[in-house]
Amino acid sequence: MTEFGLRLAISLTQIAAVMGIVVITVLILTLAERKVLGWMQDRMGPMEVGPYGILQPFADAIKLFFKEDIIPAGANKFLFTMAPILCLIPTFIGFAVIPWGPNWTFEIGGISVKPFIISDINIGILYILAFASLAAYGIILGGWASNSKYSLLGGLRSAAQIISYELNVGLSIVGVLLLAGSLSLVKITDAQAGGFWNWFLFALPAPQIFAFVVYVISTVAETNRVPFDLPEAESELVAGFFTEYSGLRFAFFFLAEYANMMLVSCVAAALFLGGWNAPYPGTILALVGLPSFAWVENTMWFAVKTYSFLFLFFWLRATLPRLRYDQLMRFGWKVMLPIALGNIVVTSIAVFIYQQMK
Amino acid sequence: MASTTTTSRPSLSEWFKTITFYEILVGMKATLSHLLNYRPVTLQYPHEKRTLPDNYRGMLALLRYDDGTEKCVGCDLCEAACPSRVIRVVSAEVPGEPTKRYSKEYYMDMTRCLFCGMCVEACPVDALGMTREFEWAVYDKRQLHLNKQQLLAIGDRSFPIREKRLELQHPNVAFFNVAFKHVPSKPD
Repeated sequence: MTEFGLRLAISLTQIAAVMGIVVITVLILTLAERKVLGWMQDRMGPMEVGPYGILQPFADAIKLFFKEDIIPAGANKFLFTMAPILCLIPTFIGFAVIPWGPNWTFEIGGISVKPFIISDINIGILYILAFASLAAYGIILGGWASNSKYSLLGGLRSAAQIISYELNVGLSIVGVLLLAGSLSLVKITDAQAGGFWNWFLFALPAPQIFAFVVYVISTVAETNRVPFDLPEAESELVAGFFTEYSGLRFAFFFLAEYANMMLVSCVAAALFLGGWNAPYPGTILALVGLPSFAWVENTMWFAVKTYSFLFLFFWLRATLPRLRYDQLMRFGWKVMLPIALGNIVVTSIAVFIYQQMK
Repeated sequence: MASTTTTSRPSLSEWFKTITFYEILVGMKATLSHLLNYRPVTLQYPHEKRTLPDNYRGMLALLRYDDGTEKCVGCDLCEAACPSRVIRVVSAEVPGEPTKRYSKEYYMDMTRCLFCGMCVEACPVDALGMTREFEWAVYDKRQLHLNKQQLLAIGDRSFPIREKRLELQHPNVAFFNVAFKHVPSKPD
């Protein structure tokens, strides 16, 4: 019983730490997005709350917390209440299998603990894909339960878009899985150790550059971001599926969107950009003589990769206008899907020949 | 299948530009260059204010002479000139001086004013002025219905240096700001 209690305590601590990191990152992201967008458009972004507006996320959070919580007349109350939570939980659950740092194990009271991952399950990437697809339920139920035509149209669009592009995400990942020979994110990251030429973006038998491009575009579409933000197109649908939401429920949708962005960035870093591996063999801190602090460098590299990917989201938003709906669908099915399938064929052949030659 | 437009095959360079997202990359380069050469055009308004042009037409005000007497002679020309009927003047004789008139009451409904400046141009004695005040947002729009005292106060705080009374003026007549050549000079 004490062993179970200890295991539970360790797991809960890890979960609390990861949740804290995710929520803090979302706070930073909301500010960073407005700032980066402002800088790219010759504006300043928020400047009033705190020095250079750095306390703006807290002001937003307080404002949303104290706002009136409106449930529209004729709305399905149960589903309307459930939808933001249904949207939020799958995204947060995905972080359980993200390896934040080196794959270390140490013993606490006879229990082996992996400090940088909550649970190292051997189907990690499948698990993330499955739960990311579940988040579409939150969006479409939120749109349907609002009893508003704009919400319903936004929810329908979002569902169609997520189904179309989830497929491309899954297929673009297959090449990486073929190279790594595993579905576990820890094993995939370990397979990319030893310099940036071993990252699957550049790894030799079959560089996954095309798969990476497909993954980037598809994840932008999957997280409903510009230029694929049709579910929340302001000019057509007011705000899409969360038109009728206010206060905390709106904040949940908001949190889910940014947490989802962070999740796909973490997956991109782990799958294509070597995860926590530095772009050079080993770590500098281990070379200097502090091997027990090497995890700091590794987690920093993971953070750098994730944040660069998130910056790409903002950068795209500042640059591109919104696509038309038929363009979106045609691009997804007629361009992205063939590229992803072709990448699988080429990668399979390359991996097969590589293994025969060895 | 008689198509009038012949779709030409894309050349190799066009094809290459399409598959490398060349146009999108050009756009992203433009946004990144704006991020790196960060020169915001924003003016942090309540903290820093832009310099107003010299002929700025702001809040209207009634003016006084340097001896503290009102310039307004109650001629109603501003009321006649105003296109949106902002001004209402109640003119009256100065008690005991039957040739001299003044504005007994003077109202301006600033909610209707469009700051065209025609009242200022119409005024024969330069009794009206346009100040450089523009921060006149109020919670109750009845506060924008100004009376004579308020307009004079605006004039006092916006034009601290007042105009002198003309030398060649008879103290007892309604006068205009033109040279009265026929008026006899002041007795010393």
